Amino acid sequence: MFLLLLPSAAAAHDFWIEPSTFRPPAKTSVAVRLRVGEHYLGDPVPRKPAAQLIRFDAHAAGGTIQVTGAEGSEPAGSVAVPKGGLTLISYESKPAYVELNEDKLEQYYREEGLEFVRDMRKRSPFAREPWRELFSRCAKSLLMTGSASASGFDHRVGMRLELIPVKNPYANRAGVKLPVRLLYLGKPLAGALVVGIPKSHPDRKVSARSDAAGRVTLKLDQGGEWLIKAVHIAPAPAGARGQWESFWASLTFDLRP
Amino acid sequence: MKRASLLLLVLLSLALPVRGHELGTTKVNATFHRDATYRIDILVDPETLRNRLGILATGARPLPAPAADYQKLIEAQAALFLQQVHVRFDDASSVPRFQYVPLQTRAGAVTATIRLEGSIPAGARTFQFRYALPYAPYLLTVVDEAAPGPPERHWVEGEEMSKQFTLGKRSPPLTRSQTALLYLRLGFTHIIPKGLDHILFVLGIFLLSTSWKSLLSQVTAFTIAHSVTLALTIYGIVSLPSIVVEPAIALSIAYVGFENVVTRTVKPWRIALVFAFGLLHGMGFAGVLGELGIPRSEFVTALIAFNAGVELGQLAVIALAFALVASWSRQKRWYRQRVVIPVSILIGITGLYWMIERSAW
Repeated sequence: MFLLLLPSAAAAHDFWIEPSTFRPPAKTSVAVRLRVGEHYLGDPVPRKPAAQLIRFDAHAAGGTIQVTGAEGSEPAGSVAVPKGGLTLISYESKPAYVELNEDKLEQYYREEGLEFVRDMRKRSPFAREPWRELFSRCAKSLLMTGSASASGFDHRVGMRLELIPVKNPYANRAGVKLPVRLLYLGKPLAGALVVGIPKSHPDRKVSARSDAAGRVTLKLDQGGEWLIKAVHIAPAPAGARGQWESFWASLTFDLRP
Repeated sequence: MKRASLLLLVLLSLALPVRGHELGTTKVNATFHRDATYRIDILVDPETLRNRLGILATGARPLPAPAADYQKLIEAQAALFLQQVHVRFDDASSVPRFQYVPLQTRAGAVTATIRLEGSIPAGARTFQFRYALPYAPYLLTVVDEAAPGPPERHWVEGEEMSKQFTLGKRSPPLTRSQTALLYLRLGFTHIIPKGLDHILFVLGIFLLSTSWKSLLSQVTAFTIAHSVTLALTIYGIVSLPSIVVEPAIALSIAYVGFENVVTRTVKPWRIALVFAFGLLHGMGFAGVLGELGIPRSEFVTALIAFNAGVELGQLAVIALAFALVASWSRQKRWYRQRVVIPVSILIGITGLYWMIERSAW
């Protein structure tokens, strides 16, 4: 366990939304914090300029509202929750450029369950070129106000890679087998590694590969905050700065013990 | 808010790291002082840092704690923090001192600076730095007071060693006794020959003193007063602009000079005034000492030595004056008429002239 949690030299890092509270009282303001790291432990990320964002908003009973904040500020934004029900915060960034050393690639594939990329790269015209990647963050966070509401938890935001819970996490508790769907460009993504990390015990990760319908079922045996994540890689469009495009989906919520 | 976006613009305009992902909030500023000490300020998010250190210490994520406790919790893990930091000069590692400095930022959010301080080894030519805790790349800014040119900026990945920075040449740090001797000399030369105004003031005190007792009481009052304000000003506890202090010192000289003409004996309020003037002169000394610069490593030594040097200079003035005239003429009838009054008038006029000159912009 100790070894697992040492500050590792991970090839790439997770990205998620950590609201100041997952259960805000009615009509209060929630600070929306962005985090980059691993094992559900991350550094604060200040708000990017609007030109680098595709969306940073919240979907609730009253409709969709913006998560407001100043460029460069941390927490990255704030949002007022309605008088009851679920609030779904979404953050999607435009592609940003990154290079990886060859020696980090194997580790990257292994950590994110992307072994298929090794063969894809071998067969591509870029097999001998350095790894140049455009990465996009697709983070969601589900908050609840008042008693568990039945609607909104499975709202499809339309992100390029999106995790959608099939059951309402707030209507369940620790021990639930939570089905989650993974959509890539709106279609089910099969064979992807979906990982669940409980905040209180990040060493007790759970994971499964998505089936043909893009579904996985994760047994969430801990109460408290959970981070569900998945990564997908595809060839980048011709003419782009990188040859590969990565998508980092995450979903955070709080589960009753 | 404007400042934040400006900062972001500045950050984005710099070459971004080639590898690594989002830019975090960590910033590292390393300053290499002329006196061969260094200071590295690491801007941290206390909550994140506390969690990272907690996991390193116990292997498990620590339970949530109130923000007010972060300082205590982080300070308790200072040794662990220092293991995550590598300060390197040439081929040798330096283990810095650790200090937690809490900062209040806008909207009441709490950030903090971890301040690392230490000595630059003699003859060090290069510096390298590693700070293993951040996940996001951070901006390392290096300011070398001994090298010309603007600060160097460099993006560093959390797990990696920074590039090698070349340091300017600096003379080896002085030992404590060398520092004491240097500042003793600086204090003395600030009176003789550089401090004509202080010399005139001390002469003014001397001329009115017909007895050792009155001389001693005035000199003691003056010494205590200027020692107090020298220390208080150097430590930043009190401060007056030199546009106020310098003319006021001139005024004190004029006053002492003219008072010598109208009075023959040292009255208690004269002692009080000399004390008050001493407070002003101390601020003047502090201004000079501040301009000379004080080595951080031997701050108290330098301060005491400088004050002692000033003291020796003043005693030398008195000893010289005594040897030159007073030893044989002080008991003479004409001493007051031919020495005290004309010299005091000269001192008074000079003081007045300086006062006008120093008040003029």
